[in-house]
Amino acid sequence: MSELKEQTRKKARLSVYFNKRLASYYWERLKKHKLAMAGLGFIGFLILLAVLGPFFTQDPTYSDFNIANMPPLGFSRQESVYDIKTDEFTTTVISGRLDHPLGTDSKGRDMLSMLISGARISLLVGLIATGIAIFIGSLIGVLSAYLGGWVDNVLMRFTDIMMTFPFFLLLVLIVFLFGPSLAIIVVVIGLTGWTGAARLIRSEALSLRTRDFITASRALGASDGRVMFNHLIPNVASLIIVMSTLSIPGVIMAEAALSFIGMGDPLSTSWGTILNAGQHTLDTAWWVAVEPGIMLFLTVLSFNFFGDGLRDAFDPRAII
Amino acid sequence: MRNYIIKRLFYSVIIAWGILTVTFILLRIGPSSPVDRYILNIAARGSDVESVRQAIEARYGLDKPLLEQYFDYMGNLLQGNWGWSFSASMPVMDLIGSHWIYSFQLILLSTIFAILLGIGLGVLSAVKQNTRFDYAASIFSFIGISIPNFWLGLMLIMAFAVNLGMFKTYYDTSYSIWSLENLRQLILPVLALGTGELAGYVRYTRSSMLDNLHKEFVTTARAKGLPERTVIGKHVFRNAMLPLVTIIMFDLGSVVFGGAYLTEIVFGIPGLGQVSFNAIFANDYAVVVAVTLISTFLVLFINLATDILYTYLDPRIRYE
Amino acid sequence: MHITKGERCCAILTATTLVLLSLAGCTTTVKQEAKGTFIEGDVAGGEAETLNWILAADASSFAYAGYTVESLASYDNNFNVVLRCLAKDIEVSPDGLAYTITIRDDLRWSNNSPVTAEDYVYTLKNLMFSDWLNYNYREDWMEEFGGKKVFVTPEVINQTTFTITRKTVQPEFIYTLYDLIPYPKYISVKYEGDVEKFTQAREFNELSYTGNLGPYKFKEWLKNDKFVLERNPDFFLGKDNGAPYFQQYIIKVLGTSAVMQAALEAGDITYCGIEPHNVAKFKKMDRINVYTIPTRGYNIISYNQRANGWEGLRRKEVRQAISMAVDKETIVRRIYLGFAEPAYSFIPSSSPWYTDDTVLKLGVAPLNSKQKAMEMLRSAGYEYTKNGDKNILLDKSGQPVKLLLVTTPGSDVVESMSLLIKQELSDIGIDVEVKWVQWSTLLRQYMMNKVPGSDQELRYNNGPEAVSEEPWDLSLMGHNTDPMAPSGSAVFFASDGGLNSFGFFNDEVDQLFHKIRSKDGLDKTARAGMYGQLARLISEEQPVDFLTFTRANVGFQKNVKGIEPGINMGYNSYLWRFE
Repeated sequence: MSELKEQTRKKARLSVYFNKRLASYYWERLKKHKLAMAGLGFIGFLILLAVLGPFFTQDPTYSDFNIANMPPLGFSRQESVYDIKTDEFTTTVISGRLDHPLGTDSKGRDMLSMLISGARISLLVGLIATGIAIFIGSLIGVLSAYLGGWVDNVLMRFTDIMMTFPFFLLLVLIVFLFGPSLAIIVVVIGLTGWTGAARLIRSEALSLRTRDFITASRALGASDGRVMFNHLIPNVASLIIVMSTLSIPGVIMAEAALSFIGMGDPLSTSWGTILNAGQHTLDTAWWVAVEPGIMLFLTVLSFNFFGDGLRDAFDPRAII
Repeated sequence: MRNYIIKRLFYSVIIAWGILTVTFILLRIGPSSPVDRYILNIAARGSDVESVRQAIEARYGLDKPLLEQYFDYMGNLLQGNWGWSFSASMPVMDLIGSHWIYSFQLILLSTIFAILLGIGLGVLSAVKQNTRFDYAASIFSFIGISIPNFWLGLMLIMAFAVNLGMFKTYYDTSYSIWSLENLRQLILPVLALGTGELAGYVRYTRSSMLDNLHKEFVTTARAKGLPERTVIGKHVFRNAMLPLVTIIMFDLGSVVFGGAYLTEIVFGIPGLGQVSFNAIFANDYAVVVAVTLISTFLVLFINLATDILYTYLDPRIRYE
Repeated sequence: MHITKGERCCAILTATTLVLLSLAGCTTTVKQEAKGTFIEGDVAGGEAETLNWILAADASSFAYAGYTVESLASYDNNFNVVLRCLAKDIEVSPDGLAYTITIRDDLRWSNNSPVTAEDYVYTLKNLMFSDWLNYNYREDWMEEFGGKKVFVTPEVINQTTFTITRKTVQPEFIYTLYDLIPYPKYISVKYEGDVEKFTQAREFNELSYTGNLGPYKFKEWLKNDKFVLERNPDFFLGKDNGAPYFQQYIIKVLGTSAVMQAALEAGDITYCGIEPHNVAKFKKMDRINVYTIPTRGYNIISYNQRANGWEGLRRKEVRQAISMAVDKETIVRRIYLGFAEPAYSFIPSSSPWYTDDTVLKLGVAPLNSKQKAMEMLRSAGYEYTKNGDKNILLDKSGQPVKLLLVTTPGSDVVESMSLLIKQELSDIGIDVEVKWVQWSTLLRQYMMNKVPGSDQELRYNNGPEAVSEEPWDLSLMGHNTDPMAPSGSAVFFASDGGLNSFGFFNDEVDQLFHKIRSKDGLDKTARAGMYGQLARLISEEQPVDFLTFTRANVGFQKNVKGIEPGINMGYNSYLWRFE
């Protein structure tokens, strides 16, 4: 008997977070948003690429200096090698080849596999760092709104300080001090990037706090935790999802920017790292700077499209 | 109102002090020493590296206990002495004094560019809602916010400076700040930095305008027989500007040490961004702390100004 | 890169030198008009630290200040001494202990007072040797005597003459002397004893004291952007010929080499270094002259011979085998596109002390063979196993050999080399893991060492028993050598060398270094013989694998005349002019 009760209670709690009918309603609305679907499509493609790509392409760190700076398929360039003894150049024409369709970099690494590795890193950084940031942001936002009083005051002042900190400067400073590893980059972006989410979720939760159903459940003697987890959080869930989707591009860009200025993890091949190398060979091997930029751009664009569509889908007032 | 401002100023000082302390401690507990960069140089000339390191650290007072350094620094700061930059070998204020203008002009021009064009396009978009123009503007703004500004900068250099030869590949400080040539050479950097902001403003203006277009007072105004120009220009636009002010002000704060720094690097503009980041790599804490402090105050001031501006734009808002 | 001034000498007169000298002679007779602005391009990161150069640790600071104050002498491309502030060459007593220096009598500070022997002696005694200033390179002026390190003794003889007396013979000490630049006593006394005031002294940071001592005067320095000098009409070497011939000399900092080269192509700058992949393109241009010149830079893989490196690295045959497997020609061709040459010791082929025939040329055909390398490893007692068609080297306990290569990120060349080495060594069955660590980490955790369990302070060489905090096997670095006095490399290869972090201890090598820097080295032919022996010994012992000496390419606008391409090409830059 009590076990059955326990089960129903679990189910009920779950249903607060995942309601099949509601989900399919949102999905229908989202489907009408063409750009969002295109974005979702590209994100799906990217995930597929990141997961399956490594099985089909060569090791992105494998370098062969005999084919360094090979242009993409359909392009060619000249390379001259100097001979100290004869003071003469031997010039050869290097053309793109099918086995390296996107060319190679100055170390003879395959651009295609490097870009795929970059996709994995960008997605990983984007998802984990956003996860950390949104988790902290939601926690602080909800706590602040629900508990109010001095807790709210302290948390919001703290948020103010974090918000005022010159974000990128702090990022570079910490990475410089603790070494450029992917883990540190992810954690630092996560730990510093939650302020916007905290504020937004707080204000949303504040307006919810005075609603009847919260007052009712409190009047029925629900604990603070229960009110927060069963009523407050589920009701700001859609906001959290939208916030997450829309902050992923910022995180991806932050990592790329960091790598671009040479503070990326040297052990991993990210788009920013490739771009950093590419800016030094703009005049000879343009593809090294162009290709990762395009990937970065398309990825960020997709998340923006998708996030925008999600927001509209969740917004009951929006006409789709 | 006056009490409110005083309270806010008090908060600002506290926040700034917190940020100063954190930055100072972060910089001083790191494992690296300003001498690291020159180790091989020193060693190649047969000097004992450790004794040189100790000598140099003693010269700049870096060998004292952390707390003593901190109080020394704070004491000097309160007397208006910002310290000595040992990586640039000049007073910190002189260093900042000779570089701030380059960041300032870049940020100012790109903000003006973004505001004027962004608001214009946004208003047009809203007025011509669901026309081809509106769709084009919307797609453009998505592209604009998704394109990484440092990559855009690289591409602009490659296309217009390297390939077409229309601009120099770098920023030339030999032109006077007020000359036409200087304005001309800022075109590409302003495009690179301003495009993202511009795209954001188009979106915000559009949605803010649309929100207001359907409000009752607009209908009333139209019913009164006011010409459409006045309705849009006076009634809708004014009200739509309110949320925009926050966004523009917020952007100003974040642009200073994010995008502007990357743009400075790509175009070789010797602004404050470059100065502060070089100082990080040189362990030159006096510069980093000063720049952080200045930018913090800037952001806090902008926040306060926004709030005060609000009371003028919207008479309904009052602070206590 | 900067045009290097002040290089070290050896008097080997060749036919070409005579031709060049007579050319230089021509230019001095014709009085030229000064015009134009010379703009030197420099990649970000190479900027000077301070103009108060006596405090500097970096090379750029000396180079920047060097435009406004001349040293006692500099060296031409063949390392001949060219007198600057000297009235005649330094006289060395027959016992090699006393040096007599006579300076010109027309040198002036900015307040028009003469630069005297007193200024030089003051600079040495009261600044460089002082405790309060802590001159970084004071050890240049010290010698070991009676078990202690003591300073040499400078002494004023008269207005233009001073002497420096040593207690021990060091034939290469004279090169330190040639580089000497004085600080003005009349200003320095104001700040003496107060390092903070001295550091912040306006006169020193703005080089406002330099009088007629250099071809240029300091005008403006915008950090991360440009260092502007203007013509000094009073320059003591320009009295007869009107030199220098540029109204302004600017060092312009540019973000990347790609940007810099585009600027050279567009004619926005006058001179800059050219990356290997662009040389052929620039050589075809009508408006640009490209010169290929030797440099002092070389790259090495050090083998950790301390207790926390792979045991095999402590054996000469194993080090030789690994060096044999790394193909230096491939590095030259594929990474430098031909603009480098194989290195066999720390003495570059451009050095007067280089001898080609005695060194063991590992890593270059015929001593470059993976097959032979594997045979050597086998005969050293290591076995191979197969995994598919891949050979795998086993260590004494039967485990596959895995080596850790530590290096710093940021340099494209170093990055390329580590990848290449990883590949080369995998061909002889050695799996190399490349670890990128930041410079400060590399120094503290891998290079610095101490005897485990002792309370020693971490240093770069704490004796044979010491080990670093983290274990490592190989490390990749770029070094500079001094072609005139290569014995400075003792810091790396002598047992007591302060930077011998890889733990190479060899008595014979120590003795040779000692001999070169003693009475025995006074005779130049004898010294050349010792250097020959040292190079052979080092190339056999392979404490490190010397990879390549690099060649630099520099591009000038064609209308710049008077350039003598070579390793010290900047030595006559005050005579360069626009057509």
